[in-house]
Amino acid sequence: MKYSFYPGCASEGNAIAYYKTTKAVAEKLGIELKEIEDWNCCGATVTSSVIGEFAAQVLAARNLALAEKQQLDVLATCSSCYAILGLANKKFADSKYKEKANIALKEDGLQYDGSLRVRFILDVLVNDVGVDKIAAAVKKPLNGLKVAGYVGCQSVKALRGEYDDPEYPTALDNIITALGGQPVAFENSNKCCTGSLALTAPEITITAVHPILDGAAKAGADIVVTPCPLCQMNLDAYQARANKQFQANYTLPVLFLSQLMALAMGMDKKQACLEYCIVSPYQKLANWA
Amino acid sequence: MLMAEAGATRKYDPEFTKEVYKMENGHWVKMCMQCGICPTTCTLRGQMDLSPRRIIQLIRSGAKDEVLKSNTMWLCTSCYTCACRCPRGVPMMDVMHDLRRLAEEAGYVNNSSHMSKVYYGDVAKRGRVWEGGLTIKYGLKLGIFNAMKLGLEMQDVVMQMMKHKRLPIFPPPSVKNPANLRKMLDKAAALAKEEG
Repeated sequence: MKYSFYPGCASEGNAIAYYKTTKAVAEKLGIELKEIEDWNCCGATVTSSVIGEFAAQVLAARNLALAEKQQLDVLATCSSCYAILGLANKKFADSKYKEKANIALKEDGLQYDGSLRVRFILDVLVNDVGVDKIAAAVKKPLNGLKVAGYVGCQSVKALRGEYDDPEYPTALDNIITALGGQPVAFENSNKCCTGSLALTAPEITITAVHPILDGAAKAGADIVVTPCPLCQMNLDAYQARANKQFQANYTLPVLFLSQLMALAMGMDKKQACLEYCIVSPYQKLANWA
Repeated sequence: MLMAEAGATRKYDPEFTKEVYKMENGHWVKMCMQCGICPTTCTLRGQMDLSPRRIIQLIRSGAKDEVLKSNTMWLCTSCYTCACRCPRGVPMMDVMHDLRRLAEEAGYVNNSSHMSKVYYGDVAKRGRVWEGGLTIKYGLKLGIFNAMKLGLEMQDVVMQMMKHKRLPIFPPPSVKNPANLRKMLDKAAALAKEEG
């Protein structure tokens, strides 16, 4: 299994733990990640509101053009990057669009034929690696650990039906089960964390993360796990604020799925990058870290 | 009574409707059948001054000012939930992105429009986004008083992010040739405009 790896800007900043543990876990599972050389920001959802949708998609497609040189499908770990790259990729099925986009790409010495697929990390884990192989790689099963799997929105809802149900996703819970953990169903698990509004309207983000944390806590979850950098940041970094504002007492560590996989596969707390967690995970994960 | 008063003073501008239809996702506005599933699924309907459905209705009736001054498009998180459930398959967030552009061109600015500008500035300059620098530049864009206020309000979150090494002090590498990337973007923007 070989992929062109698209890390995305968050992997160089707030989600560095995601980047490091993804690489470590991939190695254990025999996934070869060839980072796209000279990759650029996917543009996220804000770029189209500044320069328009077409130009924003060309920006995203630049990465696909670079990946096409490697002849390897693109693996994205960030929900938003996956949605943006994946949606741009679909556009290249239209030959007129492709022609027009390539006129712009040529300015950067590139061209994209549309031959690749864009895949999300959960898709690759469930469908290419498979839960059996994941289970076989587990050294310290997460026995007795109740895990609230928070999928987030964009990875399942932007490109609907690529690998999971947009309303009732199961891939994440299946991986948690493969790791020996107990996935818990919780209220508001399909509500949006408000994404990047955390920066421009934090008061709204705090109001939005509260019901999600509340749902997870009431379902008896020990920890929350997510495959999305913004979901992770909002639930983790704003948890103390939600506690203060809503007189709550959540102590829910929020981990990237790859961090939890690293622990289950026998890596130590350093390798699992637990030091980057804001809500302390050490007590809840004492048996594994 | 209130409705009548508002109606009496509202300015209708059919040109505005045409202008929106011409935007990249404007054709979707014609597809909406006003069923109201989008506001019922929207995460932030409670914070929006106008619901997404109402925005579409007002675009069609040419209520330019009312549409452009609303906070609706700026609160859209692009979660795609409404797009999942819309019986007509309208990608409402894409319409919202177009409306943001129109609102900005008409001079309506807010925290989110500042952030978009700063974010895109980083993308155009370096090809990649540096989250640490983004936070600082966003603060400067807000103006010193607002930036300090926000800084004080968010002090605990920022401190925690820094303590856990998640807000890098130095920028990550840029793409090898940002000038070419900018040329590409300019070309793309020009091509999109040509089509109209």
